[in-house]
Amino acid sequence: MRNRASNSLSKGKIRQSWSKYNLYNLQRLRSPATANRTFFQQKWSAKALGRAYHGEQVREGQWKRMFSKRIRSVIPMDTADLAADDGSKNSAGRGSGLQTQGEKGRPSRIIPFTQMAFAPLERRLDVAIFRSLFASSTRQARQFVIHGAVTVNGQKMRHPSYLLNPGDLFQVDPDRVMFATGAAKTKFERRETRQLKQKDEEDAEGDSEAKSEDAAETKPDAEKEDGRDTLKALMAQAKNIMSTDKEILPAKRKQELRGFQKAVRRVLSRSGTSTILTDNLEAQFSELTLMLNAKRAEKKPAKQTKQAKTDAEDSNAATSVESEAASDKLSEAFQAAAEGADVDASELTDEEFEVLKRALTQMRDNPIDNSKPYATPWRPRDFMSAFAFIPRYLEVNQNICAAVYLRHPVARPGSAEVPTPFGESISTPAYGWYLKRRW
Amino acid sequence: MAPRIQSRSVSNLLPYITSSSSITSSSIPSLCSSSQSSRYFSTTPAPQTKLRRQMFEWLSTQGSGLKHHTPGETNYLRMADGSQSNRPFPNNMTFISEPVLSEELRNEVYFRVKEQKKSPRAVSVELGIDMNRIAAVVRLVELERRQRDKGKPLALPYARAVHEMVPTTPLAQAGERQPYHEPINDLPVHPLTGAQIFYPVPESRPFTRVDAGRVFSGAPKLEKKVSDKITHPSDLVDDLVQKPGSIEWVGKGDNARQVLQPADVRIPHPQLVQLARDRAAFPEERRTVTQRHTERLERQEKAEKERAARAAERRNRNTETIDPKDSRFSFRIKDAVVSEETVGKNGRAPWAPGRRYGVPTNDRTRGTVKIPTRVNV
Amino acid sequence: MVLRIRLARFGNKHQPFYNIVVAQARSARGSKPLEVIGTYNPLPAARTDVSDATSAPRAFKDITLDKVRAKYWLGVGAQASDPVWKLLNLVGRVDATNGLDGTGWMA
Repeated sequence: MRNRASNSLSKGKIRQSWSKYNLYNLQRLRSPATANRTFFQQKWSAKALGRAYHGEQVREGQWKRMFSKRIRSVIPMDTADLAADDGSKNSAGRGSGLQTQGEKGRPSRIIPFTQMAFAPLERRLDVAIFRSLFASSTRQARQFVIHGAVTVNGQKMRHPSYLLNPGDLFQVDPDRVMFATGAAKTKFERRETRQLKQKDEEDAEGDSEAKSEDAAETKPDAEKEDGRDTLKALMAQAKNIMSTDKEILPAKRKQELRGFQKAVRRVLSRSGTSTILTDNLEAQFSELTLMLNAKRAEKKPAKQTKQAKTDAEDSNAATSVESEAASDKLSEAFQAAAEGADVDASELTDEEFEVLKRALTQMRDNPIDNSKPYATPWRPRDFMSAFAFIPRYLEVNQNICAAVYLRHPVARPGSAEVPTPFGESISTPAYGWYLKRRW
Repeated sequence: MAPRIQSRSVSNLLPYITSSSSITSSSIPSLCSSSQSSRYFSTTPAPQTKLRRQMFEWLSTQGSGLKHHTPGETNYLRMADGSQSNRPFPNNMTFISEPVLSEELRNEVYFRVKEQKKSPRAVSVELGIDMNRIAAVVRLVELERRQRDKGKPLALPYARAVHEMVPTTPLAQAGERQPYHEPINDLPVHPLTGAQIFYPVPESRPFTRVDAGRVFSGAPKLEKKVSDKITHPSDLVDDLVQKPGSIEWVGKGDNARQVLQPADVRIPHPQLVQLARDRAAFPEERRTVTQRHTERLERQEKAEKERAARAAERRNRNTETIDPKDSRFSFRIKDAVVSEETVGKNGRAPWAPGRRYGVPTNDRTRGTVKIPTRVNV
Repeated sequence: MVLRIRLARFGNKHQPFYNIVVAQARSARGSKPLEVIGTYNPLPAARTDVSDATSAPRAFKDITLDKVRAKYWLGVGAQASDPVWKLLNLVGRVDATNGLDGTGWMA
């Protein structure tokens, strides 16, 4: 389907998209003028605006068939109120409850029914994927579905218009989600990817003998280097990685990360116990943490290590450590641990352990990987936070990029669950437009 | 094309570890000039409309704060009066960005249901989470564990970033009270209650929620000796929990409908009403009240479990599951019977096993839904 | 003419679904068989529901089969094709020579 949904500035239509053009349009959205316009004209422009956002990928006829004038709503009940009265008090007098002077009931909030006019569209699979923050626009969600990256209840579903039933579990390929929500690669990164690809192809052509020779050459080189220097550098890099300096350029950070990765690998290659020389970060990580934890447990079994929490507060505390001497100690201990010697690792502060652990976790969970279609290490795309909300009718697990459609969206006193950028001045005439059968 | 401008500085490469710093420095200096200076040799004006210029101006000034988020805070467009709120759309006051379950709370739900073997109903009341959501969370966490075990890739940095951007309901620390996530006793508005009915009642006789439900569904008035037994609408709960099929029907044919039950019965946690009533009636005997409540809960859970077991048995009758050792799959084998009764005289009955021969499939006719309408779990 | 128990393909592109049929060996795949005795859905369905099992449940494939008729047709000399043999062996052990083994459901 051709994408007619441009984010043009002159029309100023709002789309289900995280584009910055859309954000700007959203920001300057004003209710259409009603003065000197017939009721028909008002309804027409309201429904046009509404439909540009709600299901612009759905044909008008299709949507008209989906439209239902019945709107689901719920009232949150208070069990104490229910227990206090069997209803006869409410129906006393002339049928609406006896009112004594001075006594006031609770101010009743109205249920915004017309804000739910486009509720049936929220059942669609592509819209639900967008609402769960798995895609940056409904169009993209639609593409994910068509390209086979989405399963419903474990089965591949290739129809973006599949209407979810309450209890359906849908899952998107995590790589696609990271691509959709992550920052884009710069042209330099794209070039790196190209070069990597070319190199891989050349390597594949070259015979395996050359490879073994390379390995033999590199090994003695590594041994020649001073272990202590390596580890010092390692810790310095770990610290740099964890620093929150805003002015560091992404390229610089990346270099550091890469250096750190290399250093860790070198340490691992030197330690007697380790047999892991692979690129498998997972294995490296567990090996390193195991070594560190073992040393630590030996020395001070009584002292409890802090839980490795990645809360904002914790990390701030961890990153604020800035003493040079301490890092020296850490590097020494790390070196000793790496070489298998019995050295006092317990002198290290908890914070230092945290820093190292964090750097390692970071390396494992959010690595530099040029083969990915998004900028690595992953970071959210610009202006994502302005659109980040998850409606109540979905329960989302971001780790596995899966969500459950719990129920159909409902209105309740004071709020409506259908995410719509429009106020009542647009949704009411739009609902009125579809109430009348014109076909 | 928009001028492709590389932002000079990046807030945070490691959003889920350092989780600090949002960048608000305007890293895009003088956009318009840059787009014009790139074609200084040309006399034609830059293809920058007024609107585009305004947009980039806005993005580099007021909008620059929206570019990156501050962990733990929402970062939505500001309202008309310039205030920051939990409403993502400044024009729509009725849509609120509601908190989602935090990772710890999710794991706690899973722990209570799967490890402590508590019922979803009990956990729902404890943590203030809707029962459907409890079931979904258990399902999702279990799926996550399976994927972790298999070593499948996870979107961890993404998950961290999202949880920094949206409001979350935290898990209470020890000694704190768990904040409620959402209202758990939502009463769905029944379509029958939409009608405005003029119904005169005698003042001498109380008109309760039970009576109102009967009026809405067009059922005759309850007999006096029946209605006298019901002191409060929540008295009906116990019977209906045991036998949900015992609700009275009215009307005939297509118009047949069940009598609308009072709100005390239709809410997800009707026992809480009974508990509140008991508490009001016997304020001194707290222990007895609690005990009665637990008994009621147990009875309800037992009835629900029995019903579920019966349904599962009915579903799985005639089916057996085989897990061959050398296969990646398990096989569900269902018994079928091919006989004149099951396949019809000409062997073409639509309920016979297998796809049919010589019977037109109406899957392409006009008006039918061409895509799947449900996917079985 | 040899009678054969074999699969007849139904379903759409990339969505195979098979009837297990008894048919003359030389008849076309899509022609009307003597009898349909079951179905086989080769597309595995992953499990996303909650289970009490400790290990992750395997994806499953659905088979329906009328065992009585299958046994009858094997008894009167129908030959099962290879894929059908595999399915029959899943349901119960079948002997390749005469279809009657004495150990499984065929006995």
